[in-house]
Amino acid sequence: MSARPKTLWMKSVALLFGVSFAGQAHDIITTKITFDREIVRLFNVHCISCHREGGTVFPLATYSEARPWAKAIAEEILTRRMPPWGAVKGFGDFRNDRGLTPEQFELIVDWEEGGAPEGEGKDIPTAPKFPEVSVPRHPADEIIVRGDLRLSRSIPLDGLWPVMVPDNADFQITAELPDGSIEPLLWLQNYKKPFGHPFLLRTPLELPAGTLVRGVPTGAIVALLPVSVPARQTGKLSMPHEHD
Amino acid sequence: MRNVTRRLFLSAATGGLCVRLHAQDVVYQCPMDPEVRSNTPGICPRCGMKLSSHIPEPVEFPMDLTVTPRSLRAGEKAQLEFAVGDPQNAKLIEHFQIVHERLFHMFVISKDMTYFLHDHPVLGSDGKFRFELTFPKPGMYRILGDFFPDGATPQLSVKTIMVPGGSQLAPALTRDYSTRDGGNMNISLVTDPAQPYPGTKTIMSFEMNPAEGLEKYLGAWGHMLAASDDLIDMIHTHPFIADGGPQMQFNVYFPRARTYRVWVQFQRKGMVNTAYFDVPVKDLG
Repeated sequence: MSARPKTLWMKSVALLFGVSFAGQAHDIITTKITFDREIVRLFNVHCISCHREGGTVFPLATYSEARPWAKAIAEEILTRRMPPWGAVKGFGDFRNDRGLTPEQFELIVDWEEGGAPEGEGKDIPTAPKFPEVSVPRHPADEIIVRGDLRLSRSIPLDGLWPVMVPDNADFQITAELPDGSIEPLLWLQNYKKPFGHPFLLRTPLELPAGTLVRGVPTGAIVALLPVSVPARQTGKLSMPHEHD
Repeated sequence: MRNVTRRLFLSAATGGLCVRLHAQDVVYQCPMDPEVRSNTPGICPRCGMKLSSHIPEPVEFPMDLTVTPRSLRAGEKAQLEFAVGDPQNAKLIEHFQIVHERLFHMFVISKDMTYFLHDHPVLGSDGKFRFELTFPKPGMYRILGDFFPDGATPQLSVKTIMVPGGSQLAPALTRDYSTRDGGNMNISLVTDPAQPYPGTKTIMSFEMNPAEGLEKYLGAWGHMLAASDDLIDMIHTHPFIADGGPQMQFNVYFPRARTYRVWVQFQRKGMVNTAYFDVPVKDLG
């Protein structure tokens, strides 16, 4: 039997048993999650800013671009090498958080393990636009931390920025305030120097004079970023009856 | 937009047939389990939630956690206050869907993994959830919030609380699948593969003995919270296969090669049985 009739015969048998073949001849599809309906939405939020035509790395914006990389994508996100965020969720709260949630991990892994099907074009959302963004710069008033640092003045903390940190560093930075409370600031994990981005708090945190910033290991340098605009203009949850 | 216009035109031209075709176009899926789908409205047979025709957007809703008093002390009462924000405009979210009989599920795990709590903060008239808790010892705790903002997707949000006065050591977990006494029944575990490895499905099969009198707890035959020994990965899930009989199956993807403490809860004759197992997950080769 030639290859083409054999393939057609196999597809007929597969349809008979309710199993469908993906574009890849060897895939058996065991998931209802598809690229066009679910995965592209995730990629649009977490990946396409870099992984697109005109971006900084190879594109993943369409099924034909992403499918060959499906297994690699699952491995990269499970080990948290991608997206390039480098901090543990829930230790500090960041408005520029690029990390994936557990549900998002599971969606991508389920898709890949289930044969990575394409789906239906009608489900594809509008492609996002990416305006030009300026490269972030270290502010002149940043406070450099080497080891533990006790603040001599109060600062409204807007974020933290690893300046010199070994690849795959794993450490927690906390702030021990004069009232005895301890604020978790940042837990770097699997951080890599090329990430090069600050971690910007969702809500500025007032650190009074006398606060002890702890956790930066010997040989590492992290910068504290003070707020450069008034706190009420930043991303703070607005409550129904809050009085400014 | 183009697709909607095309359907409306076809409907006007061909009437009833296109109404049927349009209905078949619509996919209803479970908000919690995207594998559960139907071409007609209905209820998810796994979790009981209403199937939705809305294609979910993978947006994360920020959760604020405020602890009072600020200067926490182990052994003293503290109030935990949870506020969920709209990621688009930071406004407080005040409407949530019930999942497993509650609006908010909370898990609290200590760094040394000796303390585990699954309970339910209550929604106040101001749109915030509150819970009174006494932390038993100083150190780090991870708090997991499981909630479903109306019109959005189910969310699992993690926070960290540091209780002053000391620290806890991270646990040195080793494989422990020994049968547990959960309270009024024994619970045993078998995994497939016998040695789980990261990034692929691990089938976790639990057997309850005795099993007569098993009841649903919070609307599900079982509940699982798995946490990596460094408290970075937190997995919250429910049975993939369960029918009230002595065996239940959970399907879990462990993300990294670590040892995970897996807590499970099952209810029998009014008693919630809680047990944990320690599951090493190792890289292949």
